Amino acid sequence: MVAPALVLIPVLVLLPGLVHGGGIDLLKEFLQAAITPSLDPLVLGSAVSGLGVTVGIALLGWAASALLGLALALASSRQVWSSCCGQTWPANFLRRLLAVPRSIHELLWGLLLLQLIGLQPAVAIAAIAIPYAALVARVLSDQIDALPSGALAALRCAGVAAPQALVTALGPPLLPGLLSYGGYRLECALRSATLLGVFGLGGLGTELKLCLQSLEFHELWTGLWLLLAVMLLLETGLAGLRRRWLMPRRLGLGGLTFTPLGPESGAGTRGMGQTARPDDLGRRGREMVLALVVLGPLLVWLARAMGVQPLALLHWQPLPNLGGSSWASVLALPWPQLVGSTLLLTLVAAGLAVGLAPLLLLVIAPWPWARPLLQLTWALARLWPPPLSALLLLLLLKPGLVTAALALGFHNLGILGRLLLEASDDYQAPAEIALQGAGVGPRLALFYGRFSGLARSYLAYGAYRSDVMLRESVVVGLVGAAGLGTQLLESLSSFAWDQLLGLLVVYALLTLVGEDLSDRARLQLLAPA
Amino acid sequence: MPVAPAREPVLPNPGPGVSSQELPWLELSQITVPGRGRPRLDRVSLAIGGGERVALLGPSGAGKSSLLAVANGQLKPSSGSLRWLGAPPARSGRARRRQQARIGTLWQDLRLIEELSVQQNLNSARLATWGWPRALLNLLWPLDTAANREALAQVDLGAELLGQPVSALSGGQRQRVAIARLLRQDPELLLADEPLASLDPRLASELLQLLLDQVTPRRALLLSLHRPDLLAGFDRAIGLRQGQVLFDQPASSIGPADLAALYDGELPGSGP
Repeated sequence: MVAPALVLIPVLVLLPGLVHGGGIDLLKEFLQAAITPSLDPLVLGSAVSGLGVTVGIALLGWAASALLGLALALASSRQVWSSCCGQTWPANFLRRLLAVPRSIHELLWGLLLLQLIGLQPAVAIAAIAIPYAALVARVLSDQIDALPSGALAALRCAGVAAPQALVTALGPPLLPGLLSYGGYRLECALRSATLLGVFGLGGLGTELKLCLQSLEFHELWTGLWLLLAVMLLLETGLAGLRRRWLMPRRLGLGGLTFTPLGPESGAGTRGMGQTARPDDLGRRGREMVLALVVLGPLLVWLARAMGVQPLALLHWQPLPNLGGSSWASVLALPWPQLVGSTLLLTLVAAGLAVGLAPLLLLVIAPWPWARPLLQLTWALARLWPPPLSALLLLLLLKPGLVTAALALGFHNLGILGRLLLEASDDYQAPAEIALQGAGVGPRLALFYGRFSGLARSYLAYGAYRSDVMLRESVVVGLVGAAGLGTQLLESLSSFAWDQLLGLLVVYALLTLVGEDLSDRARLQLLAPA
Repeated sequence: MPVAPAREPVLPNPGPGVSSQELPWLELSQITVPGRGRPRLDRVSLAIGGGERVALLGPSGAGKSSLLAVANGQLKPSSGSLRWLGAPPARSGRARRRQQARIGTLWQDLRLIEELSVQQNLNSARLATWGWPRALLNLLWPLDTAANREALAQVDLGAELLGQPVSALSGGQRQRVAIARLLRQDPELLLADEPLASLDPRLASELLQLLLDQVTPRRALLLSLHRPDLLAGFDRAIGLRQGQVLFDQPASSIGPADLAALYDGELPGSGP
């Protein structure tokens, strides 16, 4: 479990060579500014309004993707199709088709739509909604198909029409997974909305980037702390709802409930301790309906306030014609090198993120006071968009693959670290207590007693996360020499559409292969020993 | 696998409960379901009338489950004809669903919806006649409490279980809830595929009695049974062997010789 951290060794060896002079002072200044953020009303005001836009984009993008994703999930579920008309090929066909929007990162969607449509609030929302809807569709349809079909068949056999039977037999078992995955997606949407801002699609991200580039660290931290507050509020709120509605954790790392098909959802609802009071079941449903009733108008109001015009998405600017003469320039790109460095970047970042989370947990094991500190660090890492960390690292390091990998790894470390912490809190480890009773030190007891039980599902999640990192590697492309991502951004800004198209295809293919590999790794890890 | 020697098909006995004027509740004629090697059902014909309690006997693999799956419309036979209350399976979806709503199946694995409360599960039997609004409302609000309470009382369960999630019930309670759900469906034809297979002997005979008690002049029961010692409450028994009907006669007239022929002399699980 800690073995991926071995990647630290070459990184640490390379690091000193990359450090350039003068950076240390700037970094010190940056860290000092953390305690003294600017409280100027002007700065605060613009940060708050930027944050409002970011949250708005996240909420609207998330809502659109949830609706669209749910519809697509039903349409690509084999169980739904076989129950409604006895055929499954449309489901399989749609599944293949949805792999395309899924394989392209939301940042790329954002930049593409920006070129096609121009700067519109709707662009950022669509950029989040398109890939997210495809992801939601995949995860949910996998969950639907993994549900036992007995109750559905029984209802159908008793003469119930297909839609009512589906809602009654599959709705309730699907609900916990649906809600907790939806909550997780909302957290992701907030991160994505910030990231899109960094690339100029509006909101707080744009301001953060400007502050960083002009070295206004005090103002930067004003925005950062605000964003952190919103993110923690969202995360605690969602966790509260999850507890209230008796939902499993987003990822049943500690339990037996991790389903190999729904990667990040831990969709298992069976086997969760059912401690519902008798009248809880209907109440939960009523509360959810109420929440939906409140959410609907809120979203409409938000869209109005932000001046979102969905119809603007239909007005495309004319594409520059793809002259046949320049295909040679596509072929002339150094493909093996681009693909190779993208893969290397992903591997290094994945090794850092997957290996460091348990390693740091081990390091702090004897000191209870270090735990909140670690939690805060991970919260900052999650919230800090990778391109911003990359820019920050550039203050200290030379541009290159290692810098990009560090930025990407740090961000994912925040996500993995929090997950591991939650799972390890949930996990009942009598072995650890036994070891401690036998006088084994806290670190070793944690290592042998707790980690051994968590390792498989943690690594399985790590495999899934590596696949996400491959997709995300484009966002750190701006620090240069980072493979396909760098080349993509370059082609995009120079309007080299033919190159861009070639790069997108290769990138999508690479992502799909990576997804397949990570699925296999996960299935293997989660297979009963 | 050696192919079984061809056997003279036994002609169906119309059975004591079917009068000439009354249409049979369930009628299978010359039903064949193909299988690997030999057919799972081989030209099976039988008829069951209202008020009849019929047991289906046979060694495992004899085709009992296939026969019940054909009878409740889940399995389409390759040849032969099927009639429910005198009518063949309808072609249009709506009419077919109306037919299916009159057939109640007690599944061996019960097929309750674990995440829902007892009340919601009982109401799910009414979905065939309810429209969308009530189907959705059932997930949010307790509906038809009086009718559900009555159904529970008929299976000796208290109304305090209505709000419990099904997953919180004991094995015996679950069986009873499944039967209560059938009562809420109020079917004319009651089918049960080895409902007693995984139960302890005392619970098995209690539940069997409960099922037998549900038969009224306008309701028929066809139940596949793995223990011939429980035949007492049945009117009729049908012996199935290698996909063919071996005997079809009043339950009281079944003797050791019939059973020996059916099971090759090895009686399954007779007595604890």
